[in-house]
Amino acid sequence: MSKSLVRSIKNVANGYSNGQISVRNATSNDPSGPTTYDMEEIASYTYQSQTDFLEIMDMLDRRLNDKGKNWRHVAKSLTVLDYLVRYGSEKCVLWAKDNLYIIKTLREFIHFDEANNDQGAIIRVKAKELVALLQNDERLRHERELAASSRGRPGGERRSRRN
Amino acid sequence: MSRAEVDLQTSVKKACNTDEVPPKRKHVRACIVYTWDHKNSRAFWNAVKIQPLQSDQVQLFKALIMIHKVLQEGHPNTLKDAYRNREFISSLGHVFPPQGNAYGRLINQYDKYILQKLDFHRNNPGFNGMFEYEEYISLRAVNDPNEGYESILQLMDLQDSIDNLQKLIFATIHQTPKNLCKVSALVPLIAESYGIYKFCTSMLRAMYQQLGADDALSILFERFDSQHFMLRDFYTDCHAIKFLTSLITIPRLSNNPPNLQVGDDGATLPPR
Repeated sequence: MSKSLVRSIKNVANGYSNGQISVRNATSNDPSGPTTYDMEEIASYTYQSQTDFLEIMDMLDRRLNDKGKNWRHVAKSLTVLDYLVRYGSEKCVLWAKDNLYIIKTLREFIHFDEANNDQGAIIRVKAKELVALLQNDERLRHERELAASSRGRPGGERRSRRN
Repeated sequence: MSRAEVDLQTSVKKACNTDEVPPKRKHVRACIVYTWDHKNSRAFWNAVKIQPLQSDQVQLFKALIMIHKVLQEGHPNTLKDAYRNREFISSLGHVFPPQGNAYGRLINQYDKYILQKLDFHRNNPGFNGMFEYEEYISLRAVNDPNEGYESILQLMDLQDSIDNLQKLIFATIHQTPKNLCKVSALVPLIAESYGIYKFCTSMLRAMYQQLGADDALSILFERFDSQHFMLRDFYTDCHAIKFLTSLITIPRLSNNPPNLQVGDDGATLPPR
């Protein structure tokens, strides 16, 4: 509880934008999340102005390069980025391809926690899958079409596409 | 010196400290990410050169693993920068007597391999550090079969050197808790050998399509088959090491070498 309080103070003190705050909340050290709603919200920011888009990606970049102790930041950021590549604006795909080396180098992420468990396994799997998706243009296009058609349907994406 | 360069120096120093453990991935990753962020690796080489690598065998061995990783995963310019530092890299192989203990031998052979890799990339600039398959290279090489033949011979030489190196590593691993440092050198070798293997498979298929049954090709085909068995055994040995299986995906090769006299999609070609 107090941790999320500290985070909301940090958000104000560092002057983060609304988009960045939602990324920080979605990729925090809390054991749960990010929820689909969180990711939908982040995806909607990527359709707005270029500034909003860049702020989101800048925050994700920082989270992806976080240290081992904050492995949840990295794992959750990969989840969010995977969502953005499918549901976010086309710019997210371009960003991810330009910065592929950041994701590729996470395929060997290792972090041992206090109980000597390797928490990096989840990150290695996520990074491997995301790299495979980004390197397969045909599959990526198909996934994005599926994502687009699921919007507006009951049970699908609630948020409408940018016209 | 910029802030980024100071951070890079710290990463290099921590990646190759004297602890007999694998070089920490986060520090190696920081070096790799630096080369992409700055599109060159000059600061990386400068940082390596100021490390006291001559004083400790473990430190030098870890430095070679780190260099190999950065060559594989770093920005393509890293390979060119590395060639400019060929003399320096070559000097590292003679610091410790190769006929001395295990690390001396390992360092000497590993260093030779890295030099061979650098020379290959110098002659074949179309390849990235991991030998990841790029279709256009095989197409270009097929247009000029002589050039393709030459590249594939050099790749097979590299594959043989990888095999010798992995055998030496396995021979020096004993049942001690400290052997993970040596084992971690297998990680880049697995990735690299598989990249070469996949490239040779599609390249030889493309050449067969172009040339058909040919004496010069059948020699390559025989050598490819024997390398297939070498690699299969290498990967089987690696599957027995838990550190490796949990860290990376080790490919499994079938018991029989793949049929090279087919198109790249696996369809049998009409006889010529």
